[in-house]
Amino acid sequence: MNAIEAKHLSKAFGTRKAVDDVTFALPEGAFLSIFGPNGAGKTTLLRVLSTLDRPSGGEAFVSGADIKEHPDTVRERIGLISHQPMLYPDLTAEENLLLYAQLYGVEDAQGRVDQLLQAVGLAHRKLDLTRTFSRGMTQRLSIARALVHDPAVVFLDEPYSGLDPHAVDIFDELIEAQRDERTFVMVSHDLEKGFHTCTHALVLARGRIVAFAPKNELDFDEFSQLYHETVGMGVA
Amino acid sequence: MARVPITKPSTFAQYATLLKKDLRREFRTREMLTSMGIYALLVIIVYGAALALTVRDLDIVRMSGGLLWALIVFTSLLGLGRSFAHEKEQGCLEGVLLVPLDRSVVFLAKATSSFLFMLAVEVVAVPLFFFFFMTTAAPAPTLGLIVVPLFVGTLGMAGIGTMLSTITMNTRARDVMLAVLFIPIVFPLLYACVTATTAAIVGADPWTDFFVMPLVLAGGYDIVMLLVCWVLYDFVVSA
Repeated sequence: MNAIEAKHLSKAFGTRKAVDDVTFALPEGAFLSIFGPNGAGKTTLLRVLSTLDRPSGGEAFVSGADIKEHPDTVRERIGLISHQPMLYPDLTAEENLLLYAQLYGVEDAQGRVDQLLQAVGLAHRKLDLTRTFSRGMTQRLSIARALVHDPAVVFLDEPYSGLDPHAVDIFDELIEAQRDERTFVMVSHDLEKGFHTCTHALVLARGRIVAFAPKNELDFDEFSQLYHETVGMGVA
Repeated sequence: MARVPITKPSTFAQYATLLKKDLRREFRTREMLTSMGIYALLVIIVYGAALALTVRDLDIVRMSGGLLWALIVFTSLLGLGRSFAHEKEQGCLEGVLLVPLDRSVVFLAKATSSFLFMLAVEVVAVPLFFFFFMTTAAPAPTLGLIVVPLFVGTLGMAGIGTMLSTITMNTRARDVMLAVLFIPIVFPLLYACVTATTAAIVGADPWTDFFVMPLVLAGGYDIVMLLVCWVLYDFVVSA
């Protein structure tokens, strides 16, 4: 079964098409890295797939659910980690996770929160306000937030933004530990890192797919050359 | 792998969770209560300076309803403008919108918290207003009835203000836009509440004309506007 299936998906802002006729299918358990220059439509595509924005045309299914017809079902099955942590700075780490756990209806909310805080190495800071956290700690807590309801598909929107190398390593370890259990879709500017991590790669330019293929069918040098050519194509 | 057991919570449970979050945040930071409280005090001080020389020649009792509501409107605007600011700061609103919930629950929870914060400020500001301006005047024995228009007016303003605050959240001149939209839309409610409040303070007959009828109109306006906000919120917050 496909974790994500997009058919002629598009999203327009006025007359400008940020996502234009995007079609691809991603199998369950895959790790898709989406590359492209600034303004290529990567984040918009992620926002449409995660139901934060409504598509202007086409259709898409995430974990089997139609994003237009059954957005709530999609929301039950996805988690989103972006460069914005989506955490309330004036609530503690524990309160933030409990808030989301209760909104999703996690049965043993406290148990799940304790388990996740342990997993991301923040159990000792659970009573601290998140405004006192470093960027790396905030991003780790953001992973816990996105996983609190155990989603099947996790979207990562430039998750390394603002992280120092050590924090990047910790973040990678946490994601790596989850890879067998979920499908990941990551928007990244770091070509080498994104390519190294993924099972599938997708290049967007001007809202359109320039390339989409499983990694084992791609050669990094050729892929890198294609990517740098698309960067020159500019924005959507 | 065993999945985490999930039971879809009731709409009320989600509403209560969001409301509890807003209350906890505010009682921890006192951000809205402090800014609204200080602003209300400053408006009273400005009133004091503006009316200091003329107060004996004016019928302060008849003016007090209007002055009181001007104080409430401007203080509310300040609080309503802040109500969504912290939701936007770290993408928190998007985090909530990623949860499978009825978007109007977000509206109801935010409108309720704004309503409670506005009432809390009024509990302090209204007695202060009367202490400063009505000690030499003689309000009618019906003065206590002003709690009814205060309640009805604040309820409507909290609901309409929450909706408009969401609409203006992403605009460049957020605070100005909120005021530009808010005041014309709440004008019928404001007019009715000023009339009813003044009637309660002055104690003039006939009651139905000056107290009951404006309150009925204000209550009707509240119901219609809150229903419109409830229905349209999904569209507004998604757009």
